[in-house]
Amino acid sequence: MGRNKPVTLLLLALAAAAAFSLAAGPAGLSDPAVILNLRLPRTLAALAVGAALGLAGALFQGVLKNPLSDPYILGTSSGATAAAVFCFLAGVERTSPVFFLAVFAGAFGATFLAYWLARVAGRLSDASLVLAGVAVSAFLSALVMLTLSVARERSFSLFYFVLGGLYAVEPRVLLASALIIACAAAAAMSRWRALDAMSLGEEKAYHLGADPGRERLIFFALACAATSAAVALGGTIGFVGLMTPHIVRLAAGPSARRLLPASAIGGAALLAAADAAGRAFFPPVEIPAGVIMALAGAPFFMWLLWRRRPDASA
Amino acid sequence: MPLLKAEGLTFSYGSAPLLAGLSFELRRGDFMCVLGPNGSGKSTLLKLLTGYIKTRGGSVKIKGEAPGTMAAGRLARLAAFVPSETSTPYDFSVAETVLLGRTGRAGFWRGYSAEDRAAAGLAMEETGLTRLAPRSINTLSTGERQLVFIAQALAQEASLLLLDEPTSHLDLKYKADIMALLSRLAGRGMAVAAVLHEPALARLGCNKALLLRGGGEYAFGPAAEMLTVASLARTYGLPPGSPLLGSGFAPG
Repeated sequence: MGRNKPVTLLLLALAAAAAFSLAAGPAGLSDPAVILNLRLPRTLAALAVGAALGLAGALFQGVLKNPLSDPYILGTSSGATAAAVFCFLAGVERTSPVFFLAVFAGAFGATFLAYWLARVAGRLSDASLVLAGVAVSAFLSALVMLTLSVARERSFSLFYFVLGGLYAVEPRVLLASALIIACAAAAAMSRWRALDAMSLGEEKAYHLGADPGRERLIFFALACAATSAAVALGGTIGFVGLMTPHIVRLAAGPSARRLLPASAIGGAALLAAADAAGRAFFPPVEIPAGVIMALAGAPFFMWLLWRRRPDASA
Repeated sequence: MPLLKAEGLTFSYGSAPLLAGLSFELRRGDFMCVLGPNGSGKSTLLKLLTGYIKTRGGSVKIKGEAPGTMAAGRLARLAAFVPSETSTPYDFSVAETVLLGRTGRAGFWRGYSAEDRAAAGLAMEETGLTRLAPRSINTLSTGERQLVFIAQALAQEASLLLLDEPTSHLDLKYKADIMALLSRLAGRGMAVAAVLHEPALARLGCNKALLLRGGGEYAFGPAAEMLTVASLARTYGLPPGSPLLGSGFAPG
């Protein structure tokens, strides 16, 4: 049916990206063991991280009524990354619940700080939110870099974690993260109507029968949970959360009922493709997925700002 | 029992009182205009009535219940509010936007029921938007978009309708259409309160008027008594001879 066409398209893109990811690498398709033991977990991780970031982007853009927001720009990812780096250095296992809780706390704290700063500055719906997010994430990134410079002995592997990439995927971390992401997605889907109400603005949402303060807290928590799980798996990967909702909105429309699942599927496809591209383009060198996403995403962000210029056709 | 009862409402943003001891009530069939100079608290009053802003004193009762204490869904079933301007960067269709008026009635998880769709369809018919249903609200004119949010409020099926400057930025035809629509709704047993900027419009169908004169001073009563030239001149601080005030309330 016509209604399901965007979903079919997205699922095709997902299948293509997954196939690309399974096939990409110096060994090509010659070694089944490489495909099964190395590329399959890595592909699954890319799909999970992409889905989480796409979902988080759609949630932030809806609940804040701001199309320029995503977990990378708001500082959510930086907060999670900083917490993860401190956990590594403190010797907390990547698989322990303490690790996930700490990463979530970092993500949530950074997000609320950026939100609060933008709110104090007076305008949520525009550039001040981006400014606040940039300020928070720049500070946290600097803190991480300072820590890495001081802690020399382990900094090389951590440096790659901060850069954002999917190298050594631990099955247990993958499982735990995927579970968190699935729960966050299901909970967010159950409140799609409240998210739509919020994307008309807080005052309108209140009068339509959604409590804005409560919805903000719920959707921030869900977006932060998904982002934390993504960061635990793949470090800081930007722009998936920003780009995906914009792209899938063209096909699925703005309503969260279809936007949320479409953003999750689209984000999964996007990141799996980006990660595979990083392996395929300059063999035997690997480009981290985070770098590929920034290469594609930064121009996309510029285009978004350009499109919002005052003289653009309404 | 009145549908809406405000008693001794008091509010201020700084030290100077904006509203001081304001009391009035609306019953089914009432169509009240709220008039007053800029900054006299008209928009603030509407948000106090729905509990979006908390009062500093006094009470509001909608069907005997205080809006601040009821669940958000309950409030949306009793009262609908149309802001002076609603914008969103996202291209919701007219039909989707009107259906969102059912947020307070539809549960989570499930989609819209046949009843929800019927209410939204009726609201679009009432406002003449049926043919625009699939269009993005961001491609509409200001007047059409204002009608979309009035339709959304109608889809809430609340008996109290509050509107903040529903006719600003609109041409005369839209102003007249919207005033006629609001009179019709009041005639059907709703209570309507609208912040307006022009006394001439208020004379088209309002039976009650609330004049905010700044500094907490106000007057409330039948439109015929409130919308006289003398009373309006005092409200806006204009000489009684000003042509801007029109010719007063024309009886009959």
